[in-house]
Amino acid sequence: MGDVAAIETESLVKRFGHIEALRGVDLRVEQGEFFGLLGPNGAGKTTLIRILATLLRPTTGKALVCGHDVVRECTEVRHLIGVVPQAMTCDLDLTARENLDIYGRFYGLPKKERTEQIDYLLGMIGLEERAESLVATYSGGMRRRLEVARALIHRPALLILDEPTLGLDPQSRYVVWKLLEKLKERYSLTILLTTHYMEEAEALCSRVAIIDHGNIIAVDTVEGLKKSVPERDRVELTIDSPPDADPVQAVKTLKEVKTAELKEGVLTLTVENSQRELPLIFEALRKKDVKIKEAKSTHLTLEDVFIHYTGRPVRDEARKVSFFIGAGVPRKWGR
Amino acid sequence: MRRMFAIIERDLRKFLRNPLVMAVSIVMPIIYLLILGNSFLGELKNLPIAVIDRDGGVYAERVLKNLEAIERGPSTIAIYRVSSEGEAMRGLKEGVFKAVVILPQGFSKHLVKRGRTEVGLFIDNSDVVSANTLRTALLSALGSVERDFIAVRERTHGVRVRTVEVHPKIDYDQTLIPGVVIMAIFLGALTTGVFNIVMDRFLGTDESILLTPLTKTDIVGGLVVSGLIITTLLALVVLGLSSLISGIYLWKTLTLGGFIGVVFIVMLSTLSLQGLLFIILGRADHPRVVGVLGGFLNVILFFPSGAVYPVESFPYLLRLFAWVNPETYSVHALKTVLFKGAGLNAIKGDILFLAVFALVSIAIATLTFKREL
Repeated sequence: MGDVAAIETESLVKRFGHIEALRGVDLRVEQGEFFGLLGPNGAGKTTLIRILATLLRPTTGKALVCGHDVVRECTEVRHLIGVVPQAMTCDLDLTARENLDIYGRFYGLPKKERTEQIDYLLGMIGLEERAESLVATYSGGMRRRLEVARALIHRPALLILDEPTLGLDPQSRYVVWKLLEKLKERYSLTILLTTHYMEEAEALCSRVAIIDHGNIIAVDTVEGLKKSVPERDRVELTIDSPPDADPVQAVKTLKEVKTAELKEGVLTLTVENSQRELPLIFEALRKKDVKIKEAKSTHLTLEDVFIHYTGRPVRDEARKVSFFIGAGVPRKWGR
Repeated sequence: MRRMFAIIERDLRKFLRNPLVMAVSIVMPIIYLLILGNSFLGELKNLPIAVIDRDGGVYAERVLKNLEAIERGPSTIAIYRVSSEGEAMRGLKEGVFKAVVILPQGFSKHLVKRGRTEVGLFIDNSDVVSANTLRTALLSALGSVERDFIAVRERTHGVRVRTVEVHPKIDYDQTLIPGVVIMAIFLGALTTGVFNIVMDRFLGTDESILLTPLTKTDIVGGLVVSGLIITTLLALVVLGLSSLISGIYLWKTLTLGGFIGVVFIVMLSTLSLQGLLFIILGRADHPRVVGVLGGFLNVILFFPSGAVYPVESFPYLLRLFAWVNPETYSVHALKTVLFKGAGLNAIKGDILFLAVFALVSIAIATLTFKREL
């Protein structure tokens, strides 16, 4: 493959009637990357993924997966990708083994290879003992792990996960994270993950793109994105200051302190790196006999970066609804 | 082909894990047979009529005896002797009686003297079917009275009709069996095949199918074949049970060739309906759509099929519809094989129509199937 990118899109546009879901997306994901696609709900993440997964045709522009065009070479692309969709899509009235076996047959895997791969994947996701139980009896976390295993049945080069931990409880989310970390360590897979859980992208992804209103507005490593944001870590100190001391002036002499403000006994600072600079701040205040009663520090998170770029956290996604729901209602009335 | 087999196996496994659907698919057509076969037995029974005899003469008595004979024999009527005309007419108005027969004073005298007389028949013509049957019953009761006054010599010119039934006697509920089998096929075709696509769309599981290298032919073909297997087996079970219930012993009446013919007709009918339903419901994404359209399609395909009423008696436009309705050919072919014991030659037109219909509809269904979200 050489320098062929795992994913490459050029001026990718997708319109649904009068709604423009993607407005000229240019994206390049290298092979072996664990790439995160962040965006508020309705930003265009799922549309982009569905185009890459050959489920939707782009209106204009081009999308390549491992050098194969998603429209003209859709069959090749389908063999190259494994997708964990947002919805739980395993058959509930089949067992885990049956789900994996039938899916393997959809890809034309020979019986011997299929059986070996199923046993291996069931072991990897920790479901060997429940392999013969109907999926209907599984918890949300177990189903999600099975979805991941199913997406890997044909050993794809690119694994796409669309909000893989959406709706899971924290414990199940942690188990899925561990599974994805294991995949990242063991295989030379390229992984594309969409999420709106910032800590998920921060924990798993080597590079992240922020998408909003159908445009990619930033692409970088998590650290790179944090550096691109003017906001810094925030420190809040509840202090007891002698009347003649000026705590604001005391800390402002430190070049690492960007801003300082005293209000009702609480000194609020923004600093480059709170962990590194807190001892220096404490020392400067101690020299002025300022007593620190309580200290709180907040790190700059990807969430802050995200809000900085998109201007908002999360909003509701406009879902494509059945034609028959609201049929006959004029579109302008909000169908 | 291997991929298509995976679709078939997936569908069959899912179906077998839902025994309730299986049971309902068998029981519903049989309940239909029991309800329709017992409530509408071809001939009407026990229609209540009020009779008022103002004459009391010998011929009035004879008419009454004839009516009583009908009551005891084919049981078309149930006679209530009423003395008051007011009471009888009130009963007619309130629906207690379907008709009021009045034998007027002087009925017998006029019949003897003038050779003709009149009988009053007040009839509830809001129920056309009952009204026609009652009119026929009364005419038959009067007819035999009239014949007493035909001179013996004139009888020599009378034409006597002797009816010969060419097939073994078939009861009305037995004539419904082809319709019951067709209904089982329709229900089978409706709850398999395209229904799985609609449910997958509704549940969002279609995405996982569309992500794989399966082709349109794999998906549509696989679902049609699994639907064919399920529906054929269900329809044959329904045929067996409904025959037993209505008193036909197929192992005695059906030859091996006939049985193979029945299986073949059931399979072609299933494929035709699978194709038709795939075209109509192929893009639906909510089971409610299947429910609404399914009920509608069942009625408009079933009733003009000749299963309960002869196609030849339909108005012209309905006859045109019957000519393109695959169920018409299925019913005709099944009746021919089950009741007349006819060979392939008698049903080759039906077979040809069903085969072409199945082929064309499945081809259209495959071409129009949406392989994307």
